[in-house]
Amino acid sequence: MPTNRLVAVATALLAAALAAGCSGTPQEAAAPEARSSAPAGPVKLTYWTWVPNMDKIATVWNQANPDIQVTISKQAGGDDAATKFLTAAKAGNPPDLVQAEYQMLPSFVAADAVADLSGEAGAAKGEFGEGVWGLVTLGTDAVYALPQDSGPMMLYYRRDLFDKYGIEVPKTWDEYAEAARTVRKKDPKVFLGTFSSKDPGSFVGLAQQAGAQWWSISGESWKVAVDDEATRKVADYWSGLVSEGAVDGQPYFTPEWNKALNDGRLLTWPSAVWAPGVLAGNAPKAKGRWAIAPLPQWNAGENLSGFWGGSSTAVSAKSPHLAAAAKFATWLNTDPQALGLLVSEGALYPAATKGATMLGEAPEYFSNQPDFWQQTATIAGGARGFTFGPNVNVTYNAFKDAFDKALQDRSAFSDALVKVQDATVADMQKSGFQLTR
Amino acid sequence: MTRRPGGGVRTASAVPYLLLAPAMALFTLFMALPVAYTAYLSLRRTKVSGLGLGKGSRREVFAGLDNYAATLTDGELWAGWLRVLGYGLLVLVVMLGLALLFALLLDSAHVRLARFSRISLFLPYAVPGVAATLLWGFLYLPSLSPIRQVLDIDLLGAGTVVLSMANIAVWGGVGFNTLVLYTALRAVPRTYYEAARIDGASEIQTALRIKVPILLPAIILTTVFSIIATIQVFTEPTTLRPLTNTISSTWSPLMKVYRDAFVTGDLYSAAATSIVIAAISLVLSFGFLRVVRDRAFGEGR
Amino acid sequence: MTTAPLTGARRRRPAGIAPTAILLLGALYCLLPVSWVLVAAGKSKAELFSTSTFAPGTGLLSNLADLAAYRDGVFWLWMLNTLLYAGGGALLSTAVSAVSGYTLAKYRFPGRNLIFNLLLGGVLVPAVVLAIPQYLLFSRIGLADTYWSVLLPQILSPYGIYLARVYATAAVPDALLEAGRIDGAGHRSLLLRIALPLMLPGMVTIFLFQFVAIWNNFLLPFIMLGDDQRFPLTVGLYTLLAAGANQPSLYNLILTGTLLSIIPLIALFLTMQRYWRTDLAGGAVKG
Repeated sequence: MPTNRLVAVATALLAAALAAGCSGTPQEAAAPEARSSAPAGPVKLTYWTWVPNMDKIATVWNQANPDIQVTISKQAGGDDAATKFLTAAKAGNPPDLVQAEYQMLPSFVAADAVADLSGEAGAAKGEFGEGVWGLVTLGTDAVYALPQDSGPMMLYYRRDLFDKYGIEVPKTWDEYAEAARTVRKKDPKVFLGTFSSKDPGSFVGLAQQAGAQWWSISGESWKVAVDDEATRKVADYWSGLVSEGAVDGQPYFTPEWNKALNDGRLLTWPSAVWAPGVLAGNAPKAKGRWAIAPLPQWNAGENLSGFWGGSSTAVSAKSPHLAAAAKFATWLNTDPQALGLLVSEGALYPAATKGATMLGEAPEYFSNQPDFWQQTATIAGGARGFTFGPNVNVTYNAFKDAFDKALQDRSAFSDALVKVQDATVADMQKSGFQLTR
Repeated sequence: MTRRPGGGVRTASAVPYLLLAPAMALFTLFMALPVAYTAYLSLRRTKVSGLGLGKGSRREVFAGLDNYAATLTDGELWAGWLRVLGYGLLVLVVMLGLALLFALLLDSAHVRLARFSRISLFLPYAVPGVAATLLWGFLYLPSLSPIRQVLDIDLLGAGTVVLSMANIAVWGGVGFNTLVLYTALRAVPRTYYEAARIDGASEIQTALRIKVPILLPAIILTTVFSIIATIQVFTEPTTLRPLTNTISSTWSPLMKVYRDAFVTGDLYSAAATSIVIAAISLVLSFGFLRVVRDRAFGEGR
Repeated sequence: MTTAPLTGARRRRPAGIAPTAILLLGALYCLLPVSWVLVAAGKSKAELFSTSTFAPGTGLLSNLADLAAYRDGVFWLWMLNTLLYAGGGALLSTAVSAVSGYTLAKYRFPGRNLIFNLLLGGVLVPAVVLAIPQYLLFSRIGLADTYWSVLLPQILSPYGIYLARVYATAAVPDALLEAGRIDGAGHRSLLLRIALPLMLPGMVTIFLFQFVAIWNNFLLPFIMLGDDQRFPLTVGLYTLLAAGANQPSLYNLILTGTLLSIIPLIALFLTMQRYWRTDLAGGAVKG
């Protein structure tokens, strides 16, 4: 596409100009190499990521760009990855590029571990939707990373078992509750769904759908509202269902949960666009029996959703090859060839708007639903996120502890929510953040 | 038997120091230095200015004893100690009792299939931790567990999860401790038992009257190490945590350190808590040693 | 006075039902969960969560093929790395522990108890606490993310030194050392010719334990290594398990990898077994 090539060329020119000129950010002793206009030999970049087959994508780039060679180092994903990167950054030997989940990016910025790419990659803004771009700018003028993929949430359900139990696909959360009760009456061994206290990312997506805003910035202060009205609504809803016994309280991703999916004892999973891979891996025998629908809505007729997961590509603040790294990151997340590879090799749902055209056939597991990607695109259109704060890990950890306890004690989830709010606020105050109520 | 009290050669030369130099160098570099750095960190904290985003908005400042005050007044931490105490007693008694039993049995003259038993006992120690959550998930979770076919109790419920954890610890540690005690037993020449055998002592009497007293130093120090290991319990609760709601992220004190250091990014609190844990471990273990001091090393026989 | 019945094995020994039975019970208790790993590694993805826990599966060969093919055989690289870390580390650790243990047992010098207590005190500090400071230290020297950063910190083993000291005390008679000294042997000869050979079974135990401990160590290499070509099995398999929020865990590969990871340890143990059959002939000197 010509416009994209123009952007790529412009970015490259900009990057080259910057590299030839002076680098604005103060660097370590290694920096002088980057300042010289004719670097000797190819620039070598390291990239920490857990996207599968990223090395194949890097090979494509390396062949086309002999002056910038990228080496992939496949890490473990999850919370550990963020800590590992932050520790490496603190020690002064971080990788040049790193995969940064959206909710971790603010803590990376707060630790001064990632660089501001507005100079090198600011032009890529047009490639992404407003919501996802906001996740990497944090509402400021700086660009801290390039969005790679996103995880809009939708409802996965067992179409065949819905027919068996005579349930309609619920369009509102009230309908979902009714369906849950119906299922329990028909077969006490089966649940419509479960509430997981171990997956704060999932709960965040549902809260986002309801309109929550857990963190926001006003001037030089942060505002923390984990227990705002929207979130309370969501928490109390699930609280009620769990205490009624209409939904289960077991966590996701355990062997027990996998077995329940296999045995048909869990009929729905409100999850994100990456769920087909998980389902195919854990319940291959149920292939072709699952389908997707938009998440049940709070008010009939709406089309809102939230995000669960999704990451971006960030560049280390201490990297001596900022421009080169930014160039690669931009290519990786906006170039059509790269996007195609991310979809086919990495099984990602690209955040770039043109990425939607890369998705052709429905995933094999959903061969019964040929309009899988069209549906996803519609749902993604209505998905909204929120700003993440600088201490998301504290919040997520408090969530797990508080909701674990609430499930154990059978107490109301909104009480647990207050504990999460208090823990988040206390941690921010301890670090010296200014907070407004 | 002419054994010099205290054993060994008295020497004024530098030889022992030279021989110990590698160990001391490694100790200084990889233990003393990190511990010193941890102590230093425990007196610091992070201070944010403004929004906390961007350059220079975070500084490390001196915090005095604030971290220690926070640690020592943390109710959750003391609750953790109590939990660990109960869990630890259970594990210690069962694991060390079994280890002693198995070591004596392995060393007895009448046993068959000793080699098979030895390697079987050792195998749990060889299983890497990465598969542990999967393994115990399959053995404990209701729809998968063969135990649940027989016993209808929730193995991961609030009351029983401690027993399930203790089971993992005993299973994983009994072989290791058995082998340590067994090796110590094998160091004893068979002549020691000849006299008893000639006198007509049975195998059990030999075991209890002769072997156990000889083994006492090894038993005591194994106990000390096990006390320390149980105070530092981390793996078992962390393994089971993803499977159940009954274990919090601060179930044991060391889990709180891990959470602070690796999850919430508060290295300073983690440092203070570690120092406190180390101090308590020191008091408990060396206190125990002082009580049994004379038996700890056979050199003073 | 004859010393004939030293080993006592010449006499006919009645088979003992009770000790054998009890030991077998213990062996079974330990074996059962391990056997699950074997059974589970033989299940294909489809069978893992849909069949009964101990029911045999049909997927062992395909799992092995998948594991070998994963990322062009990176699993074998991880295994080689682990052999390097564990083999090299355990060898060095045994050497240091044996020499230190012998010195602490057989020499008396000022500061002996202090040094021993200090070394033992290393056990008080758990790996969780040491990991990040050690990493920062290695970064300072510029050795982070290298093979040395995983090897060096695991050489010092307080437990190994304690074991060595106990063993040296029990197995190396002072009288023998005295005799050697009178014959004119220097400290080095005493150590290498007399003490270490006598300490062999103990050294084997230390080697075995340290080998397994390093083989299964996760936290240190996880923090130290960023380059996935240097990962040991523990960290490598972990990347399969914690594949990120969006990716499925490759359970069948993890379980097959775990099974393959246990096999070298079993082989090592079987090889080392014979050292426990030896009685201490040197005990003849003890009156």
